[in-house]
Amino acid sequence: MTDASSPIRVVLADDAVLLREALAAALAAAGFEVVGQAADVDGLLLAVDREDPDVVVVDVRMPPTHSTEGLEAAREIRRRRPGRPILVLSQYVETRYAVDLVRDDPAGLGYLLKDRVSRIADLADAVRRVAGGETVIDPEVVGRLLGRPRRHSPLDELTRREREILGLMAEGRSNHGIAEALTLELKTVEGHVGQVFSKLGLEPTSEDHRRVLAVLTFLRSE
Amino acid sequence: MNLPQAPREGRFDRPFGRRGLAGVAVLQVSLYAWSWLIPYAGPWPVEPFDALEELVSAATMLLWLAATLVAISASPTVRLGWLLVLISITDHVWELGFIQVPALYFVADTFGPGISSIVLAHIVVAFPTGRLVDGLDRLLVRAIYVYFFGLGTLRLVRFEPNFTCDPYCPRNPFAIWPDEAFIEALDRVTPFVVPVVGLLVIAAMVRHWRRSSAVRRRALVPVLVALPAALAVNTAFFFALSFDLGPVLDAVATPLVQASSMLLPGAFLIGVLRSRFARAGVADLALELGRGVPLGGLRAVLARTLRDPTLELAFAAPGGSGLVDPEGREFQAPTGPGRMVTPLERDGELLAVLVHDPAVDTDNPGLVEAVASVARLSLSNERLSAQVRAQLEEVRESRQRIVEAADDERRRVERDLHDGAQQRLVALAMRLQLARETTTGAQTLLDEATAELRAAIAEVRDLARGLHPTILTEAGLGAAIEALAERTPVPIRLDIPDARFPAPIEATAYFVVAEALTNVVRYAGANEARVKAAIEADRLIVTIEDDGVGGADPVRGSGLRGLADRVGAARGLLSVTSPVGSGTVVRADLPLT
Repeated sequence: MTDASSPIRVVLADDAVLLREALAAALAAAGFEVVGQAADVDGLLLAVDREDPDVVVVDVRMPPTHSTEGLEAAREIRRRRPGRPILVLSQYVETRYAVDLVRDDPAGLGYLLKDRVSRIADLADAVRRVAGGETVIDPEVVGRLLGRPRRHSPLDELTRREREILGLMAEGRSNHGIAEALTLELKTVEGHVGQVFSKLGLEPTSEDHRRVLAVLTFLRSE
Repeated sequence: MNLPQAPREGRFDRPFGRRGLAGVAVLQVSLYAWSWLIPYAGPWPVEPFDALEELVSAATMLLWLAATLVAISASPTVRLGWLLVLISITDHVWELGFIQVPALYFVADTFGPGISSIVLAHIVVAFPTGRLVDGLDRLLVRAIYVYFFGLGTLRLVRFEPNFTCDPYCPRNPFAIWPDEAFIEALDRVTPFVVPVVGLLVIAAMVRHWRRSSAVRRRALVPVLVALPAALAVNTAFFFALSFDLGPVLDAVATPLVQASSMLLPGAFLIGVLRSRFARAGVADLALELGRGVPLGGLRAVLARTLRDPTLELAFAAPGGSGLVDPEGREFQAPTGPGRMVTPLERDGELLAVLVHDPAVDTDNPGLVEAVASVARLSLSNERLSAQVRAQLEEVRESRQRIVEAADDERRRVERDLHDGAQQRLVALAMRLQLARETTTGAQTLLDEATAELRAAIAEVRDLARGLHPTILTEAGLGAAIEALAERTPVPIRLDIPDARFPAPIEATAYFVVAEALTNVVRYAGANEARVKAAIEADRLIVTIEDDGVGGADPVRGSGLRGLADRVGAARGLLSVTSPVGSGTVVRADLPLT
């Protein structure tokens, strides 16, 4: 998906210096080029303007209120540069934040829990997927969505495998990615996906990020 | 003529006694008799006796006399009464002309016809107290006097009559600069001046009315109605006369004018009576209170009795400083003119504070006190109720603050965990992974990871201790404060008994000390602080003193406020003494039982 000869250029924003440096080191070790670092929203916007990076990684909590400044920064960057890949690192397992982030145009957006980045491979994978235009939703957030208490749910009619596949779709995986993750044939995955969609009464869609949105909206509205 | 601006209670304010009243009555009646008899002393034929006319004139005189007697018999209208006496005297100046002395004749002829109108204008502007209340009024009245006596004097020295000597034609002894044309011009202009002055005086009254309370308005209204009416009738009559509109008009107009002369004394009488009529309301108040007034309803009853709808009632706040309204809300006593504050005391203790229109007091001195003394029991009940409500309100606010403080504390803990320990632990995990995956520099990464881990442990420990220090529960107040002092960068002397107290007391005392020491470090700039705890008769007294800059404000600082709430919740008292420049003493007094 990426050209190995030119590494993916990343701008990184987090107000906690220690963690930011650890992240930068981890990203560098994973083969990314960290071209800018920022401790707040203004610094981040400046760095993005200056460096025009391939992907932005931003912590959700930043000054001044340490709540969801990262989400607003992401929105602002997308307004200025539509489609620019952004990965938001968050401490909050809040499905609302994740869905709000990707609601308008999920392509190239990611919402990853901060705990997850302690596995560098997961972090690198997420950054790479976002940079490639995919959507990334943290599995724990998806788990929270799937596990919501429901009075009567079409989810009950899904087989275990189908639920697994629904979860992976919600995480933003493509059929190819799902096949890889579950070591299944692509054809088999496609068959399951069709089953899931028909059982849930959703319109089948071929575009991956449309599919993420449809699944997330379905899971949240249920 | 112009009454001196005497101090507040001058000789003109003292009410007349019985003999004084009799004297004034005798004077008025004598003057009336004199005006009846004096025409016979003159050389002119005396008009034939007209019964109706005499009846009206006698009635008018009696109205003036009644208004005067009522006014001078009690404050605050005594001063007005003096002016009313003056008007009765000046009314007879023109009659001096009957005594055939040239000098007297010309003085009477020049000033006699107008002088009582001038005093009348003064009375109206000064109604109902007889005082001119502000600069504009004083200016108006002075201008009227200056105009009248100035032009009068000018007329006196320039008037050289050349009328046919029938039957009396004295030479004007003052005519040092006679000018017939001037006199003619002057006499043509004068009739127009009267309504102008009249309108100015009415304008002044309207101005008073607009600024007055309902109490004062009741006194002003009769005059405000009568004056324009009298002025209109007289002006119309005068101009009708100069156009010589014939005997028919004469027959109608003369009685009308005569009747109109009763308007003003009548209005003065009613106005003066009304301005002190409120006193009768005290009896009604006693009856109403006897029937029972519901709690919170006293203000309305008092407002009705004192005829001041703006009346406000306040009581001493339960804490001892400030005032509260009957609902128990904080009350700010107004300052400045337009409002009057009357504290009502009983046995040297503040019973209540009445805020009212100053007119209530100036029109009826002593009325407020009279009302208060009748309403004492009700005021006492109302005060109790207000104070209880204020205390409830204080408790409610304090409970609110405690809840908010707890929320703030949760937020702080959440933030400390997220931004501190969690960040460090994540970073730590990353470093460990990097160390595993790299071959070079693994040593450094592991060292960094260890440092990070230690920092995270320390943060978690600090956080936990901030929530509740284990040493407090485990080893008591002395040990906990000692530990606190060790971590405080300012040297602290401790004097704490080695005893255990009930857990809530220990916790409260500990947080008082912790917060006070935090303030010492943050704001006081102190060289040293002292923490002392002592048991005094079932109470634990904790004091924290420093030698810093002082000036701490217990009301504004949320920390100190929170402490006061906390101490209050333990039924204790927190006091903060912090004079600027001389250090701060925080003292918590906690009951042990």
